[in-house]
Parts: sequence; structure tokens; C-alpha cells
Amino acid sequence: MAETSPRARLILALVLAFGFAAVQGLAVLPLVMALALGVVLAFGAGRVVLRRMRAPLLLVLGLTLVLPLISGPTVLAQIGPVALRLEGLQAAALIAGRLLSIVAVTLALLATLSPFDLVAGLRALRVPALMTDLALLTLRYLDEVTAELRRAAVARSLRGGKRGWRALPDHALGLASSLIRAQARSERLWAAMRLRGYGMGPEPDAPPLQNFERLAITGAVIVALGVIWLDRIL
Amino acid sequence: MHLPDGIVPVEMALAGYACTAGLVAVALHRIKARPDPQAEIPRVAMLTTVFFAASLVAVPVPPTTVHLMLAGLMGVMLGWFAVPAIMVGLFLQAMLFGHGGLTTLGLNGMILCLPALLAFGLWRQIGGRWPDLAAFGAGAGAVVVAVAIFATIVLTGLPAELDARAERAAVQVFALAHLPLALAEGVIVLVLLRVLRRIEPRLLPHG
Repeated sequence: MAETSPRARLILALVLAFGFAAVQGLAVLPLVMALALGVVLAFGAGRVVLRRMRAPLLLVLGLTLVLPLISGPTVLAQIGPVALRLEGLQAAALIAGRLLSIVAVTLALLATLSPFDLVAGLRALRVPALMTDLALLTLRYLDEVTAELRRAAVARSLRGGKRGWRALPDHALGLASSLIRAQARSERLWAAMRLRGYGMGPEPDAPPLQNFERLAITGAVIVALGVIWLDRIL
Repeated sequence: MHLPDGIVPVEMALAGYACTAGLVAVALHRIKARPDPQAEIPRVAMLTTVFFAASLVAVPVPPTTVHLMLAGLMGVMLGWFAVPAIMVGLFLQAMLFGHGGLTTLGLNGMILCLPALLAFGLWRQIGGRWPDLAAFGAGAGAVVVAVAIFATIVLTGLPAELDARAERAAVQVFALAHLPLALAEGVIVLVLLRVLRRIEPRLLPHG
């Protein structure tokens, strides 16, 4: 599945993510999670998914700790003032299952692409050129600007900068100087883009989807609809 | 402040996509009506990069550290360009850092784009006469509006069988916890726009 184009991956991710997001009951949740695992394995993205799952897992942990304790009238167990409630437990399981499945599918399909392939996929899906150009230029300079801001923060602290609320004006000044540098950089960039002929000709059309990609997308639509149907009848 | 996947019902996520698509279409229409929109792309991209990078850096706001939202500042500095810039930023954050989500991209777009456009409107209306007031209002107000939209979406979207009182209490705590961020952003936008008005007024073409 590694040769699947970015455009097909984006369509697959959207179809499966919305299909999984439509699940409302716990009965179908194991199937949804198994399907997500299948996608992760099919695209050989186990490591990438595990590496990037930290934030969603923390969120899931928070939900599963809080919701069962505060939500619902049916008390399953009680220790002193703390009660474990059925409805909260069910809601936490549903939200956590949906969230992890959608994130796993999204990461397996899209996080394995380079950011530039991802933007090429958006362009092939006819996302307006202004937005894809913005995305490309943002990606191109993101590391540079982030490093610049971090250096400025280190320099401020080395100069014995103020702390807490009194440091906010200093942060604002650092941000202002970054914006002024960005303005100067953008003028040079626009000159270079015009020299390279930016916007002079039409964008080349994206190649058509291959047969196996059409098949995969049809399969994903059937799976998503099947999951929703099963969820409604069970 | 991003809604993750799986929290809200799918109908709401789809409605979010529809609303944001409408907002993006209006913004792109307004942008295309400008004299040379292509020439503005590098400037908008560079500023978007700074906003994006700045939102990744934690700023100490006692008793904790926060990540700035900067929707108000984007509205003031980018005008209608703030809408596509925010959508690009949200998409990249979801894909590169796992903040937000694919199905909630539309709702997250509404949470940030509407406050940015309100800040833009506020700056245009009173920025000339009372620039400091407008700057503080744009920065702090954008956070307050974003929190209000976020809270409304969460309260409407969570399962009906959950305890409504507990839900409301949790959202109230969440909103109160964002007050320091609103004040911090108000101060930062005020100082920043004061400096830019003096040193580089070209950066405020939409004011």
C-alpha cells in the first residue's frame, strides 16, 4: 500500500474517519478498533502511529479518569465520596475508542507522507492554490522561524529577563521583531518567486487515480457505511 | 484549544466543515477582489509561519505556562487572509503534531476564524481612533470568543446521558482557566501593535 498516492490517502482517511466518528454505540467499537489496527498494519505505520499517539493517549487517560466519576445516575461502585458511574464509563469508552481509531487511521495514512507530498495531495484534491501555496511556504520556513523564536527566548533569559506577567511585553517585542524580519524575508521571497515564473502558467493536472486506488476508496466507503449500518441495528 | 476527533457527534463535525467551507469561500472571494492577491502570498505565509511557530512556544503566565492562540493578532494583521492562514495552520498542526483532528478541522476552524474576523472588524472600526483599546480588545476578545464557541460546541456535542450539571461546571472551570490567557494575549497584542505602528506600519495594511 506504500505506493498509494497522497490524494487517495487523504480521501481514504476522510472516509474512514467520518465513518468511525458516526459510531454511537459500544457494540461496534471493537470492530472499529480492529479495522483501524488493520489499516495501520496494511500501511506498515505501527511505529509512526505509536510515536505520535502520546497526546491522544493523554487525552483519553484524562477522559477515562474524569467522566466515570462525574457523569450519570447509575452508581457501579462507591468508595467514600468517589462513585464509579455506568453512563460516564460508557461515554468515556465510546469517546476514547472513536478518538484512538480515527487518530490511528489518520496517522497511518497521512503521517507517513512527507509534508510536501501531503500538500501535493491537497492540491490534487483541488484545494485552492492560495491555501496550498501558503501551506508550502509555511512548512518551508517553520523550522527556521521556530529556532529563531527559541533563540530569542534563550537570549532574553540569559540577559536576566523579567519573569511572569512582567515578561509579557518582552515576549511581545520578540514577536514584533520576528514579524518585522518575516516581512523583510517575504519581500525577497516574492522577488525570487517572480523570477522563477510563479503564477505565469496553469498548474499541471494531477494524474488520475489508479485502479487499485479506486478499489481501495470504494472499499473504504463500503466499510464506513457498513460500520454505520451495524451501529444503528445493533 | 483544539477539539480532538471523536468528541462531538458526526453531524456536528460535518456542519463544522460546511460552515468553515462557506467562510473560506467568502474570504477567498474577498481576497481575489484585492488588486494583486498573489503578491501578498509570501507576506501572509511568512507572518503565518511566525504565528504558527509562536503558538508552539510556551509563554509563562503564572501560575502556569500557556500556548498563545494569536487569532486576534492574525485578524488584525492579515484581515481576510487570516481565514485561509488559520485553516492551513490547523491542518498542519493536526497532521504534524496531532493537535486537533481531521474530522473536527471544520469546527476548530470556526473556533479560531470567527474570533480572528471579529478582531479584524474591531480593529478596522476603532483602531484608528483608540488603537490601544482596539489592540487589547482584539487580543483578549478573540480568546474570550474562541472559548465561548468551544464551550458551546462541547456542551452541545457531549452525549445527552451525561450529567448536565457536571458538564456545565467543567466548562465553567475551563473558561475561567482561560482568563489569564485572554489577559496575556490582550497585553501582548497591545504592546506588539504599538511597536509595529511606530517601526513598521506596513505590517498593518488591513488596519
